[in-house]
Amino acid sequence: MNRMTHPIKPEEVMAYLDGELAADRATVAAAHLRECAECQGLAAELGSVSQNLETWKVEQPEPGIPQAITNALAENRAAARNIFPAQRNLRELWHTRWARVMLAGAGAAAAVFLVGLGTLKFEGGRVSSVFSRRGVPVDKAVVNKFQTESRLEPSPPPPPPPINGRTVTELAQLQTAPPATSSGPLADKLTTENNLSANGPMIIRTAELNVITKEFDTARANLEVILKRHQGYIDELNAGGNTGSGRTLTATLRVPADQVDATLAEVKTLGRVESESQGGQDVTSQYVDLEARLGNARNTEDRLTDLLRNRTGKLSDVLAVEQELDRVRGEIEQMEAERKNMAKQVSYATLTVTIAEEYKAQLQVVPPSTSNRLGNAAIEGYRNVADGVVAVILFLLTTGPSLLLWAAILFFPARVVWKKLRRSPAA
Amino acid sequence: MISDEALMQEFRSGSHLAFEALFARYRGPLYGFFRRRLERDQRAEDLTQEAFLAVIRASVRYEPRALVRTYLYGIAINLLAAERRKQSRDLSSVEIAPEPASRDDSDNVLWMRQALGRLDDAEREIVMLREYEQLSYSEIAELLKLPVNTVRSRLFRARMALKERLKPEQDIANASAGEVAETAKLTQAEGEAL
Repeated sequence: MNRMTHPIKPEEVMAYLDGELAADRATVAAAHLRECAECQGLAAELGSVSQNLETWKVEQPEPGIPQAITNALAENRAAARNIFPAQRNLRELWHTRWARVMLAGAGAAAAVFLVGLGTLKFEGGRVSSVFSRRGVPVDKAVVNKFQTESRLEPSPPPPPPPINGRTVTELAQLQTAPPATSSGPLADKLTTENNLSANGPMIIRTAELNVITKEFDTARANLEVILKRHQGYIDELNAGGNTGSGRTLTATLRVPADQVDATLAEVKTLGRVESESQGGQDVTSQYVDLEARLGNARNTEDRLTDLLRNRTGKLSDVLAVEQELDRVRGEIEQMEAERKNMAKQVSYATLTVTIAEEYKAQLQVVPPSTSNRLGNAAIEGYRNVADGVVAVILFLLTTGPSLLLWAAILFFPARVVWKKLRRSPAA
Repeated sequence: MISDEALMQEFRSGSHLAFEALFARYRGPLYGFFRRRLERDQRAEDLTQEAFLAVIRASVRYEPRALVRTYLYGIAINLLAAERRKQSRDLSSVEIAPEPASRDDSDNVLWMRQALGRLDDAEREIVMLREYEQLSYSEIAELLKLPVNTVRSRLFRARMALKERLKPEQDIANASAGEVAETAKLTQAEGEAL
């Protein structure tokens, strides 16, 4: 049997009969088996072997649970009672691979922290002197720094700030957390809840600020400097203004959540604050709910994948499982996107800043000269003539063809009518 | 029907009813697994019990990384390997009389067991796991730590070998069955004639 005449290998015939062939190959195999007598023969032989093997039956064991197992269950129950629930949970957690990995990570983090602490102590004198030089009220320090910004060298970026109590790394870890099956839904849920309780609630922060300034251009440039300093970015910016009124800049800024207060304080120094509002939306429960739903969906995906991989069955069943798997994967992608969006909203607050220029109307005391007015009038007259000519030409070009057509159509009937009218008085 | 995995989770949470459900589900298949591979039925019963005791003892350490079915057969394979090692040690000192796997085995079954016995060990295990334990190719691959394609090719080879080995026996069996039928017919005809 070669592949020139048979599109499937003999092994694939066997796998098809066992329900172990991939859906696309199974379709090919089914079509081929309907037509190929040789492969039908092979299938019959394989079926015969299985039937022969089935004849070897073994007797069933005696019913009832053996005493040894009943005793072991009782001991298991007693052992479970003798330890406190928290202790049992800890034991169970300890026995999961995920918990061991987390413990190892925590140990490594503690080691790094201790080494860092040692280094800090070693350089303690220099650090404290830096702190003492900066021992001024925050607002004044910000203003001073802002005023001397143009003279300062760009400072190296500070380490990623915590976001609502979470560091960027923690959020990234949350976003790239392994599927629920690797650690179990219970462990996942516990991990999420522990993170939340340890790091506080997740809040989407928003703020709105209206500022009026006399130096619009400087304020705009400084706004960008402030953003850069606080590791924010401009989401949207609109600037404009009409003659006879001041210019306005409306910007939607995204700033790391823990930098909101500092950023607002600096933006307020750009001019006179007209209005200010702040808000916060607690999305902790939504996030936990989303995590739980995502975990469940991943479990379902894993079960379906296992089912597809391990269970045998009819082709229609395999296709149905594949369809269900596609649907579940779509849901997972949607929830992943929701979760990322929510995490982004939490990690970066939204500031809407409006900077308006304080406009001073200028009185124009010198009227235009007569020569200028005459020149302007002449130009206006010439422009009107030219516009009139162009308008006539345009009218003729637009309607001329239609007029000619109608004239050609109506010319002969009109001529006949005209002649009859001329003859009738004579008659 | 509640899945095996859900039952296992329930058992880990302390539900002994869940364990009893699992026990009812897998006692027969596990006993069959040992019975077809061991000479003595009592040892098969003991090892089935051992397998479930191992599940109880390891319930805290259980991680849902694989199907419960695969997990149970993994325990069974380990127990069987230990039993075979023990048997080989014992056989060197004491000769144990073999016991038939089933007391009422027909000729056909005996031929088929002989044909299975003549297979290569690895191929025999694969074909038995597939035919009797009804495991999928990937489950067998996971248990025996082999690639799935290897499992498939060995299974095919084993089945083809069985087909060849069973064929002459079947012919003889059919021929002897035909002879018996003819003898019976002749006897009946003689009786009628008398």
